[in-house]
Amino acid sequence: MKSLSAGKTPRSTVQSRRLFYCILPFIILCFLFSYFPLYGWIYAFFDYKPPLKLSQCEFVGWKWFKTLFANKTQIGQMIQVMKNTFAMSLLGIATSILPMGFAVFLNEIQCRWFKNLVQTLTTLPNFISWVLVYSVAFCLFTDSGMVNNFLLGHGMIQAPVKFLDSDTHTYLWMTMWNLWKGLGWGAIMYLAAIAGIDPELYDAARVDGANRFQLMKRITVPCLLPTFFVLLMLSIANFLNNGMDQYYVFQNSFNKTHIQVLDLYVYNVGMTGSSLSLATAISMLKSLVSVTLLLTVNFVSKKTRGEAII
Amino acid sequence: MRKKQISVILCAVLTVTAVLGGCKKEVSVENTTGNSSYDKLITVDVFDTLANYQGIQSGWFAKVVKDKFNMELNIIAPNVAGGGDTLFQTRSAAGNLGDLIITKTESGRFENMVKAGLLMDMAPLLKDKNVYKNYEDAILNMNKGLVKEGIYAIPSEISSQSPNVSADGIEPLVAPYLRWDGYKAIGYPEMKTLEDMIPVMKQLQEQIPKSDSGKKTYALSLFKDWDDSMMVMAKNYASLYGYQEIGFVMEKYDGRDFQNIVDSDSYYVKALHFLFNANQEGLIDPESTTQNYDILSDKYRDGQVLTSLWSWQGQSYYNTRERKEEGKGIMPAFIEDMAPYTDGCYSMGNGKAVIAIGSQAKEPERLAAFIDWMYSPEGMELVSQANGAAGPMGLTWEMKDEKAVYTDYGWKALPTNDVPVPEEWGGGSWKDGVSALNYKPLAMVDTDPITNEPYLTTMWSSVLQMNDTPLDTDWQKYAQGAKTTIELLKKKGALSVAPGTSYIQPKEESDITTLRGQCKAVIVDDSWKMVFAADEAEFDSALQHMQDTVGGLGYDRVLEVDLKNAKDLAAARKTALDEYNRRSN
Repeated sequence: MKSLSAGKTPRSTVQSRRLFYCILPFIILCFLFSYFPLYGWIYAFFDYKPPLKLSQCEFVGWKWFKTLFANKTQIGQMIQVMKNTFAMSLLGIATSILPMGFAVFLNEIQCRWFKNLVQTLTTLPNFISWVLVYSVAFCLFTDSGMVNNFLLGHGMIQAPVKFLDSDTHTYLWMTMWNLWKGLGWGAIMYLAAIAGIDPELYDAARVDGANRFQLMKRITVPCLLPTFFVLLMLSIANFLNNGMDQYYVFQNSFNKTHIQVLDLYVYNVGMTGSSLSLATAISMLKSLVSVTLLLTVNFVSKKTRGEAII
Repeated sequence: MRKKQISVILCAVLTVTAVLGGCKKEVSVENTTGNSSYDKLITVDVFDTLANYQGIQSGWFAKVVKDKFNMELNIIAPNVAGGGDTLFQTRSAAGNLGDLIITKTESGRFENMVKAGLLMDMAPLLKDKNVYKNYEDAILNMNKGLVKEGIYAIPSEISSQSPNVSADGIEPLVAPYLRWDGYKAIGYPEMKTLEDMIPVMKQLQEQIPKSDSGKKTYALSLFKDWDDSMMVMAKNYASLYGYQEIGFVMEKYDGRDFQNIVDSDSYYVKALHFLFNANQEGLIDPESTTQNYDILSDKYRDGQVLTSLWSWQGQSYYNTRERKEEGKGIMPAFIEDMAPYTDGCYSMGNGKAVIAIGSQAKEPERLAAFIDWMYSPEGMELVSQANGAAGPMGLTWEMKDEKAVYTDYGWKALPTNDVPVPEEWGGGSWKDGVSALNYKPLAMVDTDPITNEPYLTTMWSSVLQMNDTPLDTDWQKYAQGAKTTIELLKKKGALSVAPGTSYIQPKEESDITTLRGQCKAVIVDDSWKMVFAADEAEFDSALQHMQDTVGGLGYDRVLEVDLKNAKDLAAARKTALDEYNRRSN
């Protein structure tokens, strides 16, 4: 303030400096957590053996990248992993329309307490960790679990059904767990968007004689589409990042072929297979593919819809 | 990024443990009147790759350690934490494995740990200690040829006996143990080959349909916690025929045969097929695929599992004195063509499992004193209780007429039963108070100077004499007078003693390690699929998949390394034997 009154510095510079200080912590955080870890890519070029320090390890150049594609089986494993990743991501994207539908219908419920109850109950699973989800799944679906006991007790099956340790419909099972966990949470964004729609639109439509379904179809859904597309684009950028915790807790010898997505593969190879360098190499490739995918989608979006996110 | 996340999580976990440990500390300070000469109570982080329990050591063993050294053991067990080597890697990347380290050493791990500065040079600490004076040869042999001179680790199971004497005492590594009451009831059917066990197991399951608590019994129950290069529960059947694993090779005890485990006619694949057959007959517990070792142990304690290959699993958990009096218990049967594998004594110590002090340890002198104590007769009796030693003198055993005998309490509590411990000995349950370190400083079959008998209580003359329950006498009749499994096997000429050596697998190229990791995953996964295959065709296709996949990954290169190691090991066995003979002549 003093300097201001002294008139030594122009007002706008001080203002922008102050604003800059405001975002500085976030820039630092962003740098620390998003850019600084990229330093770890250096491990991909060394023969890193955990008890030793990096300086004590041998520099091997592109060796690990070559190893990934060294022979048919390696490539085969990689292709299977990519297939799983793509399948689960595509299923995830295909079902990403469901939260929107859910939000639209939820919005139509007139009874306030019931609406709140449904919303709370569907949002809660999002806060349960995958480990706990698995223990619930374990109690329900293991050989001596509740579901099997119930079915056996009522004579509907002769032998326990292997829900967890079989490789049938792995993709679908995983998508369903994911949906159960994420549906309510995913709907929150759309509910907020619905609240932002101009009520005059509805009034005008009602005057014109539109019924509730016509209101939903002609007003709510079109108004939500921009939100939907932004979320869709973001999810495509995360195409390869379908997380590993869910698949990690559900994986076993029997379903590994289809459950092993890229992140889990990196973990299995790198952490349990004692090859951190190879795992780093894979995740580097992953980042490159992700960036390429995002840029492509962004370009397509710009061309077709005239909107872009970056 | 992931590494960072994991280390953050680990830090959080450590903080929580430390805080919780802190809470517990204060309580115990008030409650106990320790007579140790150490003023400050410390919590020692023990990184223990052998332990099957994670957390603070509790019960009577904790009290002993607290009274003597005023410290608490916080055991960090990769076996419990899961995820293979993850814990080792993240902790070693942080530069501090723990204060006390009990670890496996193979594949160059020991050398790398020394090179990375994770271990402390114990030479100055051990100079005047008995452990060094008594076992200098073994300790120096362990630490020779390292990048930095010094004493970084002490080998386990050091013995003064011939490498040709079984280090397992009375029970070999594996034997076909089964529920003797059931076997008796079905008239001791003869078993010529392993396959003959299937109808026997079937009859057993019909004979004993319910466990002691009324649950359904199964002849076999498996678990996956210890699967490494292969499925451990299948490998055991190959060990029944004198083979032991070294990487992907099964080596015969006498070094005359080396099998590639994925070969269709290897004992390993045969064992998988045996388990597959057993599963087809409904003999395998369906929970095998999901349960862990602890759940399985409780099933054994309750009698839900009718056969076992490890004496320390089936027999120790089920055979209590009361049950034996009733004629119930798990005893070994004899299969005519078997030749169970047993490790010989390690005259130079077993370098595959060692104890060391971490380079960041806070009070190394106290830790060195603790290690010294572990290698003393009294330490052996207490630390190795989990492996069959006697426990605290005065509580579980005493000297009567210059002979070591169990007390009444000992009969109830030993080896690891869920019996309450008197308050002055630490309270809690005996089973929970047993040392969780799972470490054998000296050979269990060596002589304890206090008792003049082996540390292994089951070899005590007074205990062997007491094997007079209906169960024992019935079995001894079957065994033609033999008192122990090893005696029976020796009598039948069916024991495969592999001479103990200090050989440890050398380090290997890291692309071999990577390939090995990938092959392991395929082998273990496909093995489980084979055992639980719906039919023969599925079994064959899983086997084919296993062979093709590992073959395609470059399995042959790994196998070459393993074969060389197996041959070196066989040579080392011969050398150890020659050397012992030369020294004793």
